[in-house]
Amino acid sequence: MTVVETSVRSDLAEAYELALGHVAAPGAFFTADRRVRIAEAAIAAYLDAEPGPPWVRPYGDLPLDVAHRLGRHAATITAEWYEQVVTEGLHPLEWVEIVGVVVAALPPVAFARAAGLPLPDLPAPRSGAPHGREAAELAPARLNFVPVAAPADETAAVVQALSALPDEWDNLWRMAGAQYMSDRQMDDPLWNRGTLSRPQMELVAARLATLRDCVF
Amino acid sequence: MLSWSSHEDGTPADLTAVSEGSGDAGLPFGAELRAFAEAIAGWDDAALEQARAALVAATDERFMLDAAAVAANFEMMTRVADGTGSLLR
Repeated sequence: MTVVETSVRSDLAEAYELALGHVAAPGAFFTADRRVRIAEAAIAAYLDAEPGPPWVRPYGDLPLDVAHRLGRHAATITAEWYEQVVTEGLHPLEWVEIVGVVVAALPPVAFARAAGLPLPDLPAPRSGAPHGREAAELAPARLNFVPVAAPADETAAVVQALSALPDEWDNLWRMAGAQYMSDRQMDDPLWNRGTLSRPQMELVAARLATLRDCVF
Repeated sequence: MLSWSSHEDGTPADLTAVSEGSGDAGLPFGAELRAFAEAIAGWDDAALEQARAALVAATDERFMLDAAAVAANFEMMTRVADGTGSLLR
């Protein structure tokens, strides 16, 4: 691996440190120990040199199998599979928390892999019970198959996606602001950090999303 | 977003770079950025190292790190979208 002699932007390093700490803290429904296991399953799937097919459930454990599929085969997840997993016993908000954990844990690993830096370790899980924090009012959404904070469908689907669990939502958008740009900056088609121009940023984003078969 | 921002930037992008993975999209360092994104999306570590080195050679390390951060963001956002069944309006 090429050794990159550099320092990562401080706001990005801080966002990653907070995200990994967030993974290793008690969540709304899962203990920190369980959240770290969920993150490990997603990271292992993401880095697997020879992944199995999408429908394989290697863990026989609903949260870990959802994390595994999201880590490596996200584009194959369907509303039907979500409904099946919920029918098998996973609560819809547990599903939302799993998504929140996976998207907190994977970006620091993806960034390090892309940049040729050492992959980060997950922190040791903190003690404590799940805190149960969720949006004051939930609503079914037309734009997502998961429940969201009420009122539903008044913002873009990805914006409301994790809104049922405010801690996961906060972490997601803090990371987006450091890796890409904030909502406010997104409105300016010429905003940039002095490195990539906005079109150059969008080229990376669009080509990666296309190769991930993400139609959103 | 690419179409909009590149039009506003005065250099309308060639979207076949996104859809077909060819060319430079009409952007400075577009070929290197496209190759870097493709290598990140793949699982060949040697190809990734080569694409990273080519991008650093064409630009600089800060540029490559910010490109890596954008890629990481879309490893995140694609999973948010796919994992929650996000639909366009």
